[in-house]
Amino acid sequence: MTRCIIGKGLPRIDAIPKVTGEAEYTVDLKMQGLLIGKILRSPHPHARIKSIDTTAAAQLQGVLAVITAKDVPGTLFSFYQWLADKNILCGEKVRYVGDEVAAVAAVDEDTAEEAISLIKVEYELLPAVFDIEEAMRPGAPLVHEGNESNSNWNVQRLFGDPDKALAECDYVVEGTYVTHAQAHSCLETSNCVAKWDMKDRLTIWTNAQAPHTQRQEVARILGIPRRNVRVINSHMGGGFGSKLVMDMKVPIAAVLSKITGRPVRIVNTRSEEFTTGKTRYPYTMHLKTGATRDGQIVVRDLELIGDAGAYHDKGPATINFSSMMFGTLYNVPNIRFEAKLVYTNKEMGTAFRGFGNPQVTFATESQLDELAAKMGIDPFDLRMRNSNCAMGTTSCGAEICGCGMSECLQAAADGIGWEAKKARPDDGALRGVGLANMVHTGGGGRFYGFNSAEAFIKLSDEGTVTLITSALDMGQGSHTTMAQIAAEELGVSLDDINILSNDTDLTPYDLGSWGSRATFMDGNAVQAAARDAKVALVAAAAEMLGADPADILIEESQIWVKGSAEKHPLSDIVDHSVNEHGSPISGTGRFVDTLPEGYTIPTAFAKNIPCFSFGTQAVEVEIDPETGQVRVLKVVAAHETGTTINQTMAEGQIEGSIAQGIGFALMERLLRVDGKVQNDRFLDYKIPNIGDMPEIEAILVESEGTNGPFGAKGIGEPGLVPTAPAIANAVFDAIGVRFHELPITRDAVLKALKEKQK
Amino acid sequence: MKKELHITVNGDAHHLLVDTGRTLLDVIREDIGLTGTKNGCGAGECGACTVLLDNEPVNSCLVLAHEAEGRDVLTIEGLAVGGVLHPIQEAFVSQGAIQCGYCTPGMVMSTKALLDRNPDPTREEILRGLRGNLCRCTGYVKIVEAVEVAKCLLAEGEPG
Repeated sequence: MTRCIIGKGLPRIDAIPKVTGEAEYTVDLKMQGLLIGKILRSPHPHARIKSIDTTAAAQLQGVLAVITAKDVPGTLFSFYQWLADKNILCGEKVRYVGDEVAAVAAVDEDTAEEAISLIKVEYELLPAVFDIEEAMRPGAPLVHEGNESNSNWNVQRLFGDPDKALAECDYVVEGTYVTHAQAHSCLETSNCVAKWDMKDRLTIWTNAQAPHTQRQEVARILGIPRRNVRVINSHMGGGFGSKLVMDMKVPIAAVLSKITGRPVRIVNTRSEEFTTGKTRYPYTMHLKTGATRDGQIVVRDLELIGDAGAYHDKGPATINFSSMMFGTLYNVPNIRFEAKLVYTNKEMGTAFRGFGNPQVTFATESQLDELAAKMGIDPFDLRMRNSNCAMGTTSCGAEICGCGMSECLQAAADGIGWEAKKARPDDGALRGVGLANMVHTGGGGRFYGFNSAEAFIKLSDEGTVTLITSALDMGQGSHTTMAQIAAEELGVSLDDINILSNDTDLTPYDLGSWGSRATFMDGNAVQAAARDAKVALVAAAAEMLGADPADILIEESQIWVKGSAEKHPLSDIVDHSVNEHGSPISGTGRFVDTLPEGYTIPTAFAKNIPCFSFGTQAVEVEIDPETGQVRVLKVVAAHETGTTINQTMAEGQIEGSIAQGIGFALMERLLRVDGKVQNDRFLDYKIPNIGDMPEIEAILVESEGTNGPFGAKGIGEPGLVPTAPAIANAVFDAIGVRFHELPITRDAVLKALKEKQK
Repeated sequence: MKKELHITVNGDAHHLLVDTGRTLLDVIREDIGLTGTKNGCGAGECGACTVLLDNEPVNSCLVLAHEAEGRDVLTIEGLAVGGVLHPIQEAFVSQGAIQCGYCTPGMVMSTKALLDRNPDPTREEILRGLRGNLCRCTGYVKIVEAVEVAKCLLAEGEPG
């Protein structure tokens, strides 16, 4: 089938408003009577609140409301409500430096800040726990009273007989791998405006990745009907997982608005974003991998401790997802995964691009190279021998339909010049190459017990198309993807598509943009809606042109009868249908990702993933022996797209993921002293800048076997997953030192080089 | 304390009464209402608020509004003339150099400053010229490509 729009690297449909400054973000919205809200946050990692005196703040001119815990509902909240542990404002104690204690609404920023400084809080300091070892020690201070320990959530997965396999296999490697807190660092910080109307309906303008679930979360914590909450999105300045779960600034702004009767805006400062905006979960992983003499990986055994920070948020879900990816990478018959989530007195974690997979893949793919070294075989060969295959079920129950892993592996290795570079004679330069594979979801997950999406299409009387979809564009480009899918299916040009997707009153219920989900799920719904509208359009054309519907062809907004040279603009057909017959043209589409037989949430494990995506990255690094800097020279990233919807945007997702992966591998870590973040600004918390980036070759591997729209899979996260282990493996190749902890900083490299010389 | 401020933004003369403590960024966004210029950090570390002040790129969050007294400011909104994109904007669109778009206005203004100063920068010079502008989405690959395309478009004598 020839395609006009799918696969092309067309410019994003929002590129022009974004490049001219016309695009409005939530921080740009202007509103009559808008007040500025500010949050007073705890300066202590763990303390009992003895008293709060708001008198002076409330008396300050220009202050319209001051609230503390007694002014807000006491309901506790978490992403999984059965694990609820977080209050809107802390009443009795604070659990990390940054916990919300009080809030004000004032006429302007300066007044709000001054009011905050006038609130007097008396604390009784409590002993705090900052690392997981400390937190798990018997008798350790409890972050949450009432629990038996700081670890009250864990998960075990067992497939096959790992103990037997470890005892019987020919080679076993074992090691501990550590990753740290990475900050999402969206350029637009988290922010919102809340406003109640006279009918007691609450509207929230915010930058949310999942507006419908946030609407439910806001209603849940405020104890109001869900129908009374409306969430409106604008253009979003990045998400990467940070804007999935409701932030407490939303109910705080809502309460301040309720009291003052005016709209209230709260915007994170950059420091608040770093210190309270949540992070990637730090993992400590003790891993064993075992293989037979012929290079078959037969067992993998992982003990994982996740550092939750002070509250659960997405921790349980993240660890669950880690277990699924851990179980699915290569078809390993014996798998054990034992994980604990541990509270500490620190900023909590949340979803972050890759969702627990970059951490475990750092461990598994680093250890794979250690195994290859021990066995004396090429890491490429070991990977190829164990590569996942299409059309099979893995030992942990993952159903792999399409799978391009071998192809990705070959393409990445060829792209970096694997064989030639491995055989390169030592010329004194500390250069090395490394590889890493990955598996990830290519279509979200069934974790809610269902996975579905809807979309609506209507044609104007001139034939332009309004597409109503819940696919949330946080910058990754899903609006353009949806528009391309609709345009291709309907046979109209891309310019004729107008998207509405920003308002929960308008859009169908949806689980949001996460887990590389939108292309697969919302894309399928959009394609179905376009197909539905096309049936009506073809019928109208057949009637008008006196032809058989089977002979009607539509492409690029032109309609003609098969065999005829006369083309009609689509607008003529729609105009005829609307104005001659009173019959407007529209379409509804629904995609329900059918649950596998016997599916239950607790037992589904890897059956939660509707479609898997595979990929490989090969990197070349050079190490400066003077400074210890690891310079990534080149990354070849081969990732499966199923079918590429937009070449330029798919490459952009991979390139951006690699940048964040390089940050995760080499640069980024929130540093704390006594629980207080020390690097709460871009000057001290370095994210990759334009000069830090290597040459990137993104290879899009198309593969069959997926029921995504036009066969497409999601590509939002995979690029981040294998970057760190590929770099760590290349560093080993360059200097013979194996790093088990990220980030691989200059200090760590210098220290390792010095020790090696001894 | 408020003081009179005379400032030209994108060719329009403004006469405002502005508190002496406020930044050029605040005045551009709030008083003049041009929200294309973004605030990413408020500390001159991300470049999202880059504007040209008398043709020189500045982090407008670090410039007091009154330092711009009597001077010319060019913001992202002033770049496209008569509905026609500037070649730099055109290149950012065609090369896919935009994702979330929040860094884009600053990135485009820094590119303008770079190409005004040096119409034929090497790759190294492009990297140096844009090092102060952070982007969390793109990995910069397509931004570098866009600057190279913009350089060619400008050399071909497109208006701008």
